[in-house]
Amino acid sequence: MTITLYINGNEKILDCQPGDMLTEVLRKAGYVEVKKGCDTANCGACTVLIEDKPILSCSYLAVRADGKRITTIQGVAEEAKEFARFLTAEGADQCGFCAPGFALTVLSMKRELRNPSEAEIRHYLSGNLCRCSGYEGQIRAIKKYLEAVHD
Amino acid sequence: MEIREYARPKSMDQAMHLICEEHGTAIGGSAWLRTSTKTVMLGVDLCDLGLEYIREFQDHIEIGAMTTYRELETSPLLDSRFGKIFRTTVSHIVGVQLRNIITVGGTVAGRYGFSDLNTTLCAIGARVVFYPNVEKDLSSFIEKGYASPFLIEKIILPSSARAAYQQMRISESDFPIINTAVAWTGTVWRIAVGSRPAATRICRNAMKILGDSANPSDEQIEAAAAETSKETQFGSDIRASANYRQKILPVLVKRALLEVRG
Repeated sequence: MTITLYINGNEKILDCQPGDMLTEVLRKAGYVEVKKGCDTANCGACTVLIEDKPILSCSYLAVRADGKRITTIQGVAEEAKEFARFLTAEGADQCGFCAPGFALTVLSMKRELRNPSEAEIRHYLSGNLCRCSGYEGQIRAIKKYLEAVHD
Repeated sequence: MEIREYARPKSMDQAMHLICEEHGTAIGGSAWLRTSTKTVMLGVDLCDLGLEYIREFQDHIEIGAMTTYRELETSPLLDSRFGKIFRTTVSHIVGVQLRNIITVGGTVAGRYGFSDLNTTLCAIGARVVFYPNVEKDLSSFIEKGYASPFLIEKIILPSSARAAYQQMRISESDFPIINTAVAWTGTVWRIAVGSRPAATRICRNAMKILGDSANPSDEQIEAAAAETSKETQFGSDIRASANYRQKILPVLVKRALLEVRG
């Protein structure tokens, strides 16, 4: 099958099988920033935005995405770099494998919630697992980042 | 899951034809496809049928089958009519990214034992509408299933209810060990229990104990909570034993009843 995706603003015509998940199709097309983690809808590493909503690409049929706008972390690179400065300052990023999915979820939260409490931040990010950091540094970084961008 | 052929019907009639006549398998939320080992000869994707909606009518609310959990969770209408129960019910389910995928119809159709949402829907007194226009009580469908291939169009809720949801989990985003939802519909109390680990059941004996008053006594609440553990069948699995579930359930039911009664 052939599908047309609008990835980070660029039209891409891609081949896929009916049962292929979006993660596989994106990675085969060179978008390796979309990480393949648990592959069972638990870890959030494969997060991409579809029509600006965060979704798990490991559990989303590629054919269902036909005609839709997909955003990977490369599509919001400048915003992500700014957020990364706060992560770095808090020592909150270690191996970096979860970072693309994590950052996309944070940026999505920033657009969806105004002045979220710490509980709301933790709740929104509960679908992103990090096996290195223990989350505390990430939470500090997110709070400082949101304060900075909303000022 | 392997899908040999894929169809994306544009009408309910077309979808029904593919499911009933071409032996297609409906694809709702699609979240289980990755972990399933089945081979599907024809996958019928329901995403173009316009079934993503939450609509209010004079005496009921309709939720389209392809409405996502995230839409339930963030719906001001559901908040205003049922309080925070929908948010509470779905909030433990992995993360926002999954809840942007999984659908009400997929959950109802699967009649999953571990479901949080089916328990809440049964407690509220939801009805399920199969295309074309066959309406059934949701708890009855979950208990007995449906005799032939089916296509779920929507879920119908009463216009409002006071309701509460309680659950116990080993870890935040795991399946529940046991869950319960209770509701005062304005005329009757309803109690549903799920993740026993089998699918949701209504606790009719316990509901009778509560009577038809919006303010049952503490003794009635104690008795009804105790009754739920007697009339419910429990099983054991990797998460908990039947005996443990039986001990926990009355505590959760009591908490939920007190929350609704106030």
